[in-house]
Amino acid sequence: MNTRKLALLALLVSIVSPVAQAQIKHIEMRVEGMT
Amino acid sequence: MKQHLGRQSGVQTVEVSLIDGKVEVTPKEDGQIDPAQLLKATYDSGVTAAEMDMTARGKIVKDSSGGFALQVQPNRAFALTPNELSKGLESLADTQTMVTVRGQLYKKPAGKKKADASAPLKLLILEVQKKE
Repeated sequence: MNTRKLALLALLVSIVSPVAQAQIKHIEMRVEGMT
Repeated sequence: MKQHLGRQSGVQTVEVSLIDGKVEVTPKEDGQIDPAQLLKATYDSGVTAAEMDMTARGKIVKDSSGGFALQVQPNRAFALTPNELSKGLESLADTQTMVTVRGQLYKKPAGKKKADASAPLKLLILEVQKKE
């Protein structure tokens, strides 16, 4: 039973973790009218 | 403007270069940063954004309209403007492959003083840095 739960947990982690690692790393803007 | 942008959700640091009109924003790792909100905040501070580029890591997904998008958070994805580079990533759609890309999210239309900031941002990929 525990093995089945662990396997399910591992499956969920493998599905969710790649998206969790996704992120915006850097943003650069060029602007006009700045003084 | 620096303080105005620095107060936005998910922003860690803002560096402004007055000489060349560049603004560099480093996001926090909490994933809360919203480029559309940054663009709006820029306008609100009385400055016109001419261009916005982004480097992001995410998954290529197929959206409901049949186009492709880069998903950077479970609830945030940017539709891809089709070009040669985006076509090269289409085969990765809905796989576990993560890609790191640099792309243009916004460019002020020629001749217009201000574009519609409420329009959804689309990502024009300029460089594919990593596939993993």
